[in-house]
Amino acid sequence: MPTTSSPAKKLFDTVLFREIWEAMKVTFRHMFHRPMTFEYPREKRTIPDTHRGALALLRYDDGQERCVGCDLCEAACPSHCIKVISEEDKTRPLQRYAKEFYIDITKCVFCGYCVEACPVNALAMTKLYEYSTPDKRTLLFDKARLYEIGERYLEDGKRYLYAHNQEKEGEESRAYRYQFPVPVQKTPNA
Amino acid sequence: MALKPVTTPDAEAATIELTLDGKTVTAKEGVSLYDVIASTGKIVPAMCYHYTFDPFGSCGMCLVMQEGKKAPVRSCTAKATAGMVIRTEGEDLFLARKKAVEKHLSVHPLDCPVCDADGHCELQDTAFQHGVTNLANAKQKNIPEDTRSLVLDFNMNRCIACGECINICKDVQRIDALQFIKKGGFTQVVAKGDQPLVCEFCGDCLAVCPVGAITNKFSKYAYKPWQLRKTTTTCNYCGDGCQMYLETKDTDVIRVTSPLSWKNKWGDRADTVNGHGGLCVRGRFGFQFIDSPARLTQPLVRTDTGLIEAPWIDAMDLAAGRLAYVKAQYGAQAIAGLITARCTNEDLYVFQRFMRAVIGTNHLDSSARYGHMNFVRAMHRALGIGRMMNTSAEITKANAILLVGSNITETNPVASLRVKAAIGTYKAQVIVVDEAPTNIAKLASHPLLVKPGTEGLFVQGMVKSIVEQDLIDEEAVHAHPQAFAALQKAVEKISFTDISTQTGIPVDQIHEVARIFAEAPRSVILCGEGLTRQPGGYHHMLTLFDLAWVTGKLRQPGCGINAYIEEANEQGAVDMGVAPEFLPGLLRFDDPAAREKWSRVWGADLPPSGQGAHLMDILERCRSGEIKALYLVGENPLATLPASANVEAALRNLEVLICQDPFLTDTGRMAHVVFPAATFAEKDGTMTNQEGKVQFVRPALDPPGESALDWHIMAGLADALGSPMPYETTQDIQNEIRRELPTYYNLGRPKKVEARPDAYLASQYCEEVDQRYTPVTLPSENRPFRLRLIQLLYHSGKLSTRASGLMAISPNTKRLHLHREDLERLGIHQGGRVRLITDQGSVDLEVEEDLSVMPGSCTFPEHFTEPPLKDLVSVQLDPITGVPYFKLTGVTLEPIAST
Amino acid sequence: MAHLEDQRSTVYHVDPSHPETDTLPTLRTEELLLNMGPQHPSTHGVLKVILELEGERIVKSTPVMGFLHRGVEKLAEHGTYHQFIPHTDRLDYVCAMYNNFAYCRAVEKLMGITVPDRAEYLRTIVAEVQRIIGHLFWLGTQALDIGAMTVFFYTFRDREILLDWFDELCGARLTTSWYRIGGVERDFTPELEQKIRKFLDYFPPKIDEYVVFLERNRIWLARTKGVAVISAEDALSFGLSGPTLRGSGVDYDLRKYESYGAYPRCEFSVPVGKNGDTYDRYWIRIEEMRESIKIIRQCMDQMEPGPIMADVPSVTLPPKERVFTNLESMIQQFKLFSQGFDAPVGEIYCGTEAHKGELGFYIVSTGGGRPYRLKIRAPSFIHMGAFDHMARGYMIADAITIFGTYDIVMGECDR
Repeated sequence: MPTTSSPAKKLFDTVLFREIWEAMKVTFRHMFHRPMTFEYPREKRTIPDTHRGALALLRYDDGQERCVGCDLCEAACPSHCIKVISEEDKTRPLQRYAKEFYIDITKCVFCGYCVEACPVNALAMTKLYEYSTPDKRTLLFDKARLYEIGERYLEDGKRYLYAHNQEKEGEESRAYRYQFPVPVQKTPNA
Repeated sequence: MALKPVTTPDAEAATIELTLDGKTVTAKEGVSLYDVIASTGKIVPAMCYHYTFDPFGSCGMCLVMQEGKKAPVRSCTAKATAGMVIRTEGEDLFLARKKAVEKHLSVHPLDCPVCDADGHCELQDTAFQHGVTNLANAKQKNIPEDTRSLVLDFNMNRCIACGECINICKDVQRIDALQFIKKGGFTQVVAKGDQPLVCEFCGDCLAVCPVGAITNKFSKYAYKPWQLRKTTTTCNYCGDGCQMYLETKDTDVIRVTSPLSWKNKWGDRADTVNGHGGLCVRGRFGFQFIDSPARLTQPLVRTDTGLIEAPWIDAMDLAAGRLAYVKAQYGAQAIAGLITARCTNEDLYVFQRFMRAVIGTNHLDSSARYGHMNFVRAMHRALGIGRMMNTSAEITKANAILLVGSNITETNPVASLRVKAAIGTYKAQVIVVDEAPTNIAKLASHPLLVKPGTEGLFVQGMVKSIVEQDLIDEEAVHAHPQAFAALQKAVEKISFTDISTQTGIPVDQIHEVARIFAEAPRSVILCGEGLTRQPGGYHHMLTLFDLAWVTGKLRQPGCGINAYIEEANEQGAVDMGVAPEFLPGLLRFDDPAAREKWSRVWGADLPPSGQGAHLMDILERCRSGEIKALYLVGENPLATLPASANVEAALRNLEVLICQDPFLTDTGRMAHVVFPAATFAEKDGTMTNQEGKVQFVRPALDPPGESALDWHIMAGLADALGSPMPYETTQDIQNEIRRELPTYYNLGRPKKVEARPDAYLASQYCEEVDQRYTPVTLPSENRPFRLRLIQLLYHSGKLSTRASGLMAISPNTKRLHLHREDLERLGIHQGGRVRLITDQGSVDLEVEEDLSVMPGSCTFPEHFTEPPLKDLVSVQLDPITGVPYFKLTGVTLEPIAST
Repeated sequence: MAHLEDQRSTVYHVDPSHPETDTLPTLRTEELLLNMGPQHPSTHGVLKVILELEGERIVKSTPVMGFLHRGVEKLAEHGTYHQFIPHTDRLDYVCAMYNNFAYCRAVEKLMGITVPDRAEYLRTIVAEVQRIIGHLFWLGTQALDIGAMTVFFYTFRDREILLDWFDELCGARLTTSWYRIGGVERDFTPELEQKIRKFLDYFPPKIDEYVVFLERNRIWLARTKGVAVISAEDALSFGLSGPTLRGSGVDYDLRKYESYGAYPRCEFSVPVGKNGDTYDRYWIRIEEMRESIKIIRQCMDQMEPGPIMADVPSVTLPPKERVFTNLESMIQQFKLFSQGFDAPVGEIYCGTEAHKGELGFYIVSTGGGRPYRLKIRAPSFIHMGAFDHMARGYMIADAITIFGTYDIVMGECDR
């Protein structure tokens, strides 16, 4: 609680609007401070590596899609904005992959659970946040768009994974992951 | 209980007491300790256990401590004995079980992300429950995946060697198609002899596999369990009416699963007499027609340029306008309707109400007319009932089963398991009378191969044998001495030698099986299309009645006459009165009281009695111009009936042909208006299976495009015709049926039917029996081969040909199946060409060697219209029931020299 | 709600020519009904209050709530326990961290999980940072509502520093979802520690600056002293908590008296007011910020390296690097994300002292991976219950002060 002072001082302070002058002093001092604000979009804030921005799908360094269509991101998503349609890769027998992959970014809450869930670290969040559009339909990110973001913001994505302890630097290679089953060769007479 | 304690259902096992976690429990002697524990509600993890077969004891999870023993024991393979003191919980047991899981995990591949079982995996669940962490020495098996089979892929890296697949195949299906093999240091499951798996593909192994070792090709990698919406519904293929789960994702059907699953492993084995919850190949893998791209999504109307898509309002207006015109111009009798028995009871009920009350005609029929009607009419006349008499439990526990003319493992595969259980578990005597060495005949104690078309004659022989050997049931016979005298007189007219020569069965054998049948305390007669769809089908049914009556099997409990049904709801079609002779509730159409009742319910006058044309009659009247308008709901007579029935001419003669079908059928192509209808997967309603169980069909999807439910379309037509039917929802129809036919909705627990033969025996029996037993000599045809149009396990009607899965398993090979002897006789090899000639014409096609065909006959599946073999067949009509017979015909085969 | 209906019928349905007019409560002609909100800049969201006025004086007030109702409690029943954490961000969206904290504590209580020491410290530090953010936000907006604009800029400037710090910590400034059941998502990096230490030195002089603006400003005093007074007894009866309750002289703070996190290991005092008016509550919040700085400083000093997640395989997520190589961890990952953990049957209530008051989560579990019922005791909602009591007799302009004095956020109130 503020301390009480003598009635005379109180009267003096009241008449002179002393508290206002004191406050003005603080305000005046601030004129010499550097402004905290910046002028977006000319200036942009530095975004930390951890930042949970738009989602991206990543590839391995050899260009292979990381995603195997396991659908755990869909299960983990609290806002049900992910949809994965998986099937057998026609070009590589017995390999599962995501034929279609959608993230409804209008529904996404940017919690990062999908990245946390992904058993192959195929998903990552980037520093991309400027994707406003007059056409809402383009906000349903499909597989191509997500891979495109992944290519463009690959560095962001990788840094995100490192920062959130999802992956260690230098351990992205495929050899590090599990093996897919291989088919038995069909015998000619079978 | 899992360990089979009894081989005869009559013996009752002794009761014992044992102590379980400090509590005294009672159990039947001889059962597995695991079952005793499970029956108290405690769940001890066990990965290789399933109640439907004998405990196997490979997973090592079900450990319990028995007092007096140092180490934990496996409770599944231990028998419960009196005075045992068992502990099922405790830190030591938890650790022992954990160790067992670790053993399985240490060789399991790291592929949850790509595994179809992920999220529905017992190994996952058990590992998670036991909190296994940091496995040492994990190693990979690196076994290549076996994808050679048409249906199932075997990834033996994931296998935990629980043996559930092998056991269910052996103990329940009695097919025994799988085996363990030791290869590369690991025990693996392979098809017998490490060949590509070729079996009945019931998929029960897939259902019970607790991990992802067995996966199905049709839904492989397409889903994870948490994405799927599960709808419990009833299978639409055959009359067994199996419950199944249709699992869908958005608008696609991804897979079908059965109540049988490793998740459902705790149960009482004695309950399997009511079915084991599995499915057959059709139910499990034949779901693709539902979301087929060939589905109609928009009404079609005929214009000068052919059928074009039109809005509902135009199509409806056209159809109703033409119907109204025909009715005004030629009267209601110029309109007829046919409906398929794959529709729900509600659809069928609304259909017959539409035809009778709105249109005012009694010319209506369903696909039950193709055979089942023989059974229903005969049973209704003789016994006052309209469906099979026995439950599956009674069939399983029968002492003797007479299976006539039914290739039951192909036509009704799940019902056949009851016969298999009767043979395997309860050691029943099974007499199989068929014209081909069927699979069930291979298991049966008395497989009898008769000549094609002589099954009915054989039954007559049995009746004669019973009467003459004095195997009759005195009590049953003494109540109706006159009737018995008439029967005695009738059977005298036929001679054993004739029967023996015509059927090809020695007289001794007839006497033997007659004795077995008559002397068994519980004998059950099962018949199928081999009787109901053969010439004289109606009489054959009554002969079966004679057989059951004189042996007393009509009054003894656990005995009865049963017929298996081909289409899902033929029973419902009859019950709902979709036949000119019946009103709903199996009331005769000419019964004044019944007419009064239904005309009150519908608020309309019924068409006069004494009229009403059945299927073949309708087509005949179409041809003659008497009928001008035909309304077909899901029926496709053009593809079903042989060309000799002249369906095309009949349909061309029509002024209005309205087709309502999920697909554009051959008949649909000739129609003036085609309405797109829903399949069972989109319908809400009920179906009645052959046992009389009324079971729910629930909508799993929305009808695609603008297609609509069948009864919605009928109600719409009724509206357009100016006499609306008061139905807003399916519930309204059900309420009406429930009000007027109380207890029809039996929730899958049908009331036992009571056979009342007395009225029939006391009245017309004497004169009728005399006509039935006439010495027949089969016309000695100049056609040496008998062509049989058969049903395949993998198909049902024409519907299954729309399911890509079933077509992949069993494509139309366009080949005629012949026995090797005949091939040699004709001097051709497998793949060679023959010309098949009948009275109607000829067709050239390739041949295939098939050991399940008798010499002297040849077979072709009735499901396929290409090559048009069925058009070469003659049609015979049953004089009483009007059932068309076209399954069997005499043909000549001429080899064609390959060029 | 019944009461509300009465109100409405009084308001809208009086028709003098209507035969039943006699049976309705008499409408005093000099009374004015004013709908304040829901689109009013100082109702802190979409709150509507129906004020019955006599001149400018409030005779009766009826809050109408639910404009921001999103069915969060129902949503909880349809996801795993883990999946609900992001939903809690959106309760009191100004202070997401504390909501996460309160929810995770409730689930941990249900599951009987002990959180590792370091995680407790981290949680406490972030919770106190969040408290400072909350109070800064309140101070700025309350002053702005009353008419003092400058303070708003200064508090938001300092809040911005902390929000950026959150961004660096977890990737989001507002919807943080940083807490996890059994620990936290990410540890402090040295830079983060350095930044927070710098803030600890930077911030206390700033508090003194805000005080300069307000403490003796006669307008501020006139608008806050003796406004929205509630006696200790009434405050308790209405179930108020947090600064709103302590302003009335009730010494009740869960951090102290039902201690959790690292609070028992820190020394701090609980400021308690005397008069139960807005000014006292203002003073408490200023003091609490100073206490928070103390708590953070102590935690930073005491904290030692260690795990940040409890190791309970059946509940907590495995570290990611194990998922790639280890089957059990992969199973754990798949089971937890697709089905959740199996909670024991039972019900628990766990209250946490958020900066607004007691934020409680009541969970009923019938086993399985999802709560059967989840109820949130949101302080804003409870405080709105006392609005009518506290607003009667004051001017319309004071209504704004009274909303503000609760530090009301509609996201939490309507849920």
